Amino acid sequence: MRRYESVIILDPDMPDDDVRAFTERYTELIKSYGGDVIKADDWGLKKLAYLVKKREKGRYVFFDYAGVPALLDEMERQFKISEDVIKFLSIKLDSEIDLEALKAEAEAKAKEAAASKVAAVEEPPAPEAPPGEEPTAAASEEASVNEPSSGESADQPPQVAAQTEQPEESQAGEPEKKEELT
Amino acid sequence: MSKPPRKRPFPRTKVCRFCADSSLRMDYKEPNLLRAFITERGKIVPRRISGNCAKHQRQLTTAIKRARNIALLPFTVPRR
Repeated sequence: MRRYESVIILDPDMPDDDVRAFTERYTELIKSYGGDVIKADDWGLKKLAYLVKKREKGRYVFFDYAGVPALLDEMERQFKISEDVIKFLSIKLDSEIDLEALKAEAEAKAKEAAASKVAAVEEPPAPEAPPGEEPTAAASEEASVNEPSSGESADQPPQVAAQTEQPEESQAGEPEKKEELT
Repeated sequence: MSKPPRKRPFPRTKVCRFCADSSLRMDYKEPNLLRAFITERGKIVPRRISGNCAKHQRQLTTAIKRARNIALLPFTVPRR
């Protein structure tokens, strides 16, 4: 199985529905040859750097897929026959591709993205910080912020608690706290 | 009269931009990046001018030629 990439320039006057149908048709073709589409994209209408078949603009469609060499032969044969395709370029990205590993990677990425989204929703004050360090950092920040503002005597217990909880973390913060305590 | 010493028309960048910034990826799908390495007439800028290293210049020429093939970059820009 090889990894290929194809850029296809379609007729600029083609309606959107036809472009979608075109994408679906080739997705099915790729699958019928035992391959799989990694990414299919529509770049939209772009101005061509030079005239192609007397047209100034073109509709760019992009495929990133895995397949066997016979698949590429068949695709290019059909591109040549098709009236809608005005130009195409296919490139071999990888001569050996492990589809399942790639899928697993994509899934992991999707999960990560979902997880980060969830974290962002749950903790709006600090969405950027990594989830592991977030609670301790937030706690130390809150402690340092709260100390001067609220009452001195009432604040002592939480400070002690914070120090005992995180003795290694925030070494710079500890001296400040001690000064304020005395 | 003796000729004045030849001056370089403009200071050249000595460091390969792609080595300096590893996040910069050569890709025929990004014509705007490649455009920095072609002349107004659409020719590929030689290494001695652009300062690219050999490896990246090789990749660059491939990318530019691919971009030309798919009409993202011009082969030539006709004189007006």
